[in-house]
Amino acid sequence: MLRVSAMQNATEIDLQAINGDADGAAVGIEFGRELMRFAESVASRDEALDQHRQALLEAAGPAVLVDAAGVAANFQRMVRIADSVGIPVDNMSNELGQQVRAELGIERFPSAGNSVAA
Amino acid sequence: MTFFDYDSAPFPIRADIAEAHRTYWEKLPRPGSWWTGAERVAIAAESRNAPTCRLCLARKQALSPEAVTGEHDCGEGLPPTAVDAAHRIVMDQGRITRRYIENNVAAGLSKEAYVELVGIVVAVLSIDEFHRGLGLPLERLPVPEAGEISRYRPAMLSEDTGFVPMVPLEGSVGNEADLWPGGLTANVVRALTLVPDALRDWRAIAAAQYLAFDRMRNFGQDETRAIDRMQIELIAGRVSAVNECFY
Repeated sequence: MLRVSAMQNATEIDLQAINGDADGAAVGIEFGRELMRFAESVASRDEALDQHRQALLEAAGPAVLVDAAGVAANFQRMVRIADSVGIPVDNMSNELGQQVRAELGIERFPSAGNSVAA
Repeated sequence: MTFFDYDSAPFPIRADIAEAHRTYWEKLPRPGSWWTGAERVAIAAESRNAPTCRLCLARKQALSPEAVTGEHDCGEGLPPTAVDAAHRIVMDQGRITRRYIENNVAAGLSKEAYVELVGIVVAVLSIDEFHRGLGLPLERLPVPEAGEISRYRPAMLSEDTGFVPMVPLEGSVGNEADLWPGGLTANVVRALTLVPDALRDWRAIAAAQYLAFDRMRNFGQDETRAIDRMQIELIAGRVSAVNECFY
């Protein structure tokens, strides 16, 4: 969806932001570095959450922080829905999806078996 | 005292987020399709117990979760299979398999009960994660309400994908007519439809925390959000990658 939204907005982005590349997150996305680090801290439950929350707050303000927390919380849920019932990717033959998965190298994830084997 | 009173929060919290959280908290303690009100609140408690459970932390580090045995750090009121499922969904969801769910069925945890449990765990988790993300204390759990479970199953179910039966693409009719419009949906939307209220619950929370279904095709700036779609999807993608979610 990041690639699609970037294409729709005619904006160049670096998908390696998804893999945690802070410099990549800054390409084409306002506050990208701070947003990526905040999301990473929420998902990984690391000790840097307070620091990354404060950095996002100072850079972007409270409204952005609150919306970012909502999205991060939402996807903490969505990944667990998908994996808990083993749903496959809806269209594995979609060319853009194949490109994105290859670029990110996510077939290493255990849950890839739900789609690759389907 | 009102649940999710964000007036004392250090940042203004959007009213629709507070309302979505409050609405779910009102439904949580009521009898569901397959779990009583007390059991539903106990499942919510296990969603909270999982991140500090020593067994779960040890399993997370193991090559296989089955390689580590022991007892969960948990509360009371649920069968062991339900506690284990709730903890795994929070701590190790990427290694849940069809065999794990079938073994649970053999041990007495039906697929219907499992799906409702998934819905409760992830709804509570997402509300709690919003609080943790902002450094806010967790809301206290509601008091269970008495009553009978409904044992409701949708009329149309399919086992064409995933580990559990789901409402098929063409199944959004009758009592399920509100689930998605016109036969257009995605596997993640169908995922919990063995218990349709589980989808309804997460859809309502998602509309506030992320985007409503009818806004999903808007890749520009949503006027109700302070972040644009690329910012939203950057967060979504990074959270999914840290969780090693292929979907």
